[in-house]
Amino acid sequence: MKGLFGSPRRVAAIARNTFIEAGRNRAFIGLGIAAIGLVASSMAVSGLAIADQMARVLVDFGLFAISLLEVVIAVTMGVILVFKEIDRKTFYVVLTKPIRRSEVLAGKFFGLAAILAIALVLMAAAWVGSLLLRDVPLRHDMVQALVLTWMQALLITSVALFFSSFASPVLSGVFTLGVYLAGTSIYVLEDLLAGRKGMLATNEAARAVAKAAVVGLPDLSVFNLGKELILGIPIGWDYVAAAGAYCAGWIVLFWALAALIFERRDFA
Amino acid sequence: MDDVIAVEGLRKVFRTPFRRRRVEAVKGVTFQVRRGEIFGFLGPNGAGKTTTLKMLVGLIRPTSGRARVLGGDPGTLEVMARVGFLPEQPYFYDYLTPGELLDVFGQVFGLPRALRRQRIDSLLDLVGLGDAKGRVLRKFSKGMLQRVGIAQALLNDPELVLLDEPMSGLDPVGRKEIIDLMARLKDQGKTVFFSSHILADIERLCDRVVILHKGEVKHAGTLKELLTQGERKEILVAGELPDGLSGRPGLLATDRVGPGVTRLAVESAAADAMLRALLDARLEVLQVADRGITLEELFVKTAGSGPVGAREVAG
Repeated sequence: MKGLFGSPRRVAAIARNTFIEAGRNRAFIGLGIAAIGLVASSMAVSGLAIADQMARVLVDFGLFAISLLEVVIAVTMGVILVFKEIDRKTFYVVLTKPIRRSEVLAGKFFGLAAILAIALVLMAAAWVGSLLLRDVPLRHDMVQALVLTWMQALLITSVALFFSSFASPVLSGVFTLGVYLAGTSIYVLEDLLAGRKGMLATNEAARAVAKAAVVGLPDLSVFNLGKELILGIPIGWDYVAAAGAYCAGWIVLFWALAALIFERRDFA
Repeated sequence: MDDVIAVEGLRKVFRTPFRRRRVEAVKGVTFQVRRGEIFGFLGPNGAGKTTTLKMLVGLIRPTSGRARVLGGDPGTLEVMARVGFLPEQPYFYDYLTPGELLDVFGQVFGLPRALRRQRIDSLLDLVGLGDAKGRVLRKFSKGMLQRVGIAQALLNDPELVLLDEPMSGLDPVGRKEIIDLMARLKDQGKTVFFSSHILADIERLCDRVVILHKGEVKHAGTLKELLTQGERKEILVAGELPDGLSGRPGLLATDRVGPGVTRLAVESAAADAMLRALLDARLEVLQVADRGITLEELFVKTAGSGPVGAREVAG
């Protein structure tokens, strides 16, 4: 049976191994513990807020910390895992089995997706705990915001895997962070492009670059709904589903590009 | 006998990015490997053995030429399902135990769980790692990792086994075990292709060999064919060779082999003339024998380097 990403059996074998690798990696376990600690520390930050703003700070800071740490895990693991296989030559024994290189990349992606899901659940538990301790009421759209956060991390993982299919880990990390920063600012660029003032209105070259960024990069603001959560604006599962489809489209694109490059690469 | 591997004019040029340097690692190599034979791929370090092997398993794309493995293109799923490959100095996921590692590969091969377990146990016993099944690979010695590498290369019960320097890192007992294993694989009808620079192993095991040097095939054929190339006579004489005879055409080498005994290596075609000259010089001829070239001599001659003291030519 062949799915979109190749044979599910072969992809699952690589995904399972990727998951085990992270689970037995001390650096990742340390990162996970630090992440939970950081989320829990939102309680300390909330103590600095004025009384009626405490709940808002707890919600906002907690979600921000989770989102940021998910991206950090996505970038570091996404960049390191493929590089390590090439650098330590473990790919020699994997790629000479009856498996497509695109399936190996898909397996890495799904393994990392599972790791990100577990990290998210653990951080969310710490976040919810801190909210309950301060009597902040829980709402179901918090779950929706968390799912969107996970989607963003998945998209960033696919970007990291794409860059690491041809660039060094440092460059891959820089490029991926660049895509993340640009992606979170797409809406700003769109506003500037729509305006009649500023550099984008007068400078044709800058305008062309901004337009290319808007078209060629994922708009990550789709996944960041902390403001809506604080203001009590409902998110809705239909929005989450649409964001999921948007996310999946970008992931498939980055995976296909990575596979195309990876298939042609020599392992000398 | 059909060809399991057919290589024709295979070439690989590596280009250094941003520099205009080109390195031609393999220069139009042609050879065939027949079903059921043990084929030795011999050459000094840097000869192009590993690059050729990587082209045969699809890790590297050839610049030009053609390679067919088991009737298909190298690296395709259909071909790799029937091939076992051991890379040079293999590296594995060191956070796994050998059992877990083989299980991952077994899943990739699509082996059912029960068969996987059975095959993993028997393979680990076969390579002498039955007692180390539960230890993570991080704690394995180089020789133990080599054994894991051989086990993973046999996991799919392959028709063709490609081994890049399989004896590397093994102690004499381990080497003997691998030699026996290769002979057993041949008895089972499998084809074994292995690269090495350890001449004793090649001489002991191989039906046919290719000697590669600087990316080119220098010799190819059965050991008998190669070692009778340039056959010569060895003549033992009592006393020293007079100066007048030492420069005769066809005389390849002389050396003292004992008190008052000189050994002459003479081209077969020049042997009769040399014997006549020795008798004319009133020297006592003690022995005349046919002598083929040794693999070591052929190798050194091919590689163009100086004499080798040991049977293992390079590190």
